[in-house]
Amino acid sequence: MQAVSDEQLIEWVAKGDSSCLGTLFERHHRSVYQFCLQMTRNRANAEDVAQEVFMKVLRKAHTYRHEGTFKAWMFNIARNATFDYLRKNKSQPDSLPQDDFADSLMVDHRTAEHAASGMQDIGTLQRALATLPAQYQEIIWLARFEFPTFVELGAALGCKTGTARVRMHRAMQQLNLAYTELNGAPFDA
Amino acid sequence: MPDKPSHDTRRATLPFESSDPAEQKLWSALGELPRGEPSDELRRNFYRELEAASEPRLAERLRNWLGLGSNSGWLTVAACVLLGFGIAHIAGNESAPAMPGSDRLAALEQNIALLNRELVLDRLQASAPATRLSGVYKASMMAEQDQEIVQALLQLATGDQALSVRSAAIDALGSQLGESGVDNELMKLLEASESPIVQLALVDLVLRHGNGQQISQLQKLAEQQRLHPDLVNHVNNSLRSETI
Repeated sequence: MQAVSDEQLIEWVAKGDSSCLGTLFERHHRSVYQFCLQMTRNRANAEDVAQEVFMKVLRKAHTYRHEGTFKAWMFNIARNATFDYLRKNKSQPDSLPQDDFADSLMVDHRTAEHAASGMQDIGTLQRALATLPAQYQEIIWLARFEFPTFVELGAALGCKTGTARVRMHRAMQQLNLAYTELNGAPFDA
Repeated sequence: MPDKPSHDTRRATLPFESSDPAEQKLWSALGELPRGEPSDELRRNFYRELEAASEPRLAERLRNWLGLGSNSGWLTVAACVLLGFGIAHIAGNESAPAMPGSDRLAALEQNIALLNRELVLDRLQASAPATRLSGVYKASMMAEQDQEIVQALLQLATGDQALSVRSAAIDALGSQLGESGVDNELMKLLEASESPIVQLALVDLVLRHGNGQQISQLQKLAEQQRLHPDLVNHVNNSLRSETI
């Protein structure tokens, strides 16, 4: 039973009951971490950024205005925190190179059968996604895994619904080009 | 208990349509991308930081402990000194005591109980929600609750700013259900509260410890949809299973 909505919980956090943030953390930390991991491509840094996101949620709780879902508001904070991190660490190489990152994730999630057939394609797709500008990576990730409508996606990105729709199509075109270039042929699973 | 996060994350969350079949296939394949799992370290660090953010600063805590902000510091010191003297007196004093050993021990225990009660009352009135919460737990563990502690718990149950403190205070008052003053206040709170967390604590309390009149009052509130919709179902299901 999820008797209390995210929006109600963040209101209580804003009124001084910081313990309610624990419930929000338990509901969303996995999604936030995975988004940060996709963007930073480094586990330790993704955890640092994810934690920073929730502390920012605590500090900014009083600014939440119920104009969209809590989740969209939180991901707006998450993307800002991620872009701050990427700006600050532009010159520092990630401790896990991109290929290792992709491969290390594969180990846990793919069976031997998959490894034989589809891993190559998925690995190439992962690398193609990582070559895109951060703005395209984030919209693809959020649209694919987090937000079921362009309205919520736009709210999370801090842009209009139409803008989110256009950006999404451009991002997918770019991903298609990047994949084709890496693979030598279009995706054909 | 914290909610479990949703693990059904492989489905497409946004209906993406493209005239290019390769893009459409890519969109489907994106759902197969591996996604990392956070380590336990993230949870530990988060709760550590949350606790630090919720607690008063060190200087404030030190000031409070020394008794400049509240009397808990002095009470702690007094309790320690009294306990020290008592133990030393019982263990080491060979000269003829004024009272038999068992009486002195009983007196000492009474003094400690009194100091403990003062500490609990002090905690129940602390400014930090975490301290009030620990006060509520300590109060609920005390064998005998006097009127002052019950009143302090009632005050927290009906009006504390922190919902976690309110619901814990309601739980702590469970053993007092049956006392007319407590009953009236809690039933009034159940009718007036809009918070699902507070309502849930009260509903569970009434279902566990309530008498016939309170149960029918609860049933009436559920019928009139004056509780959170999920709680209406909870009440109906609980009462139905009781009758079966």
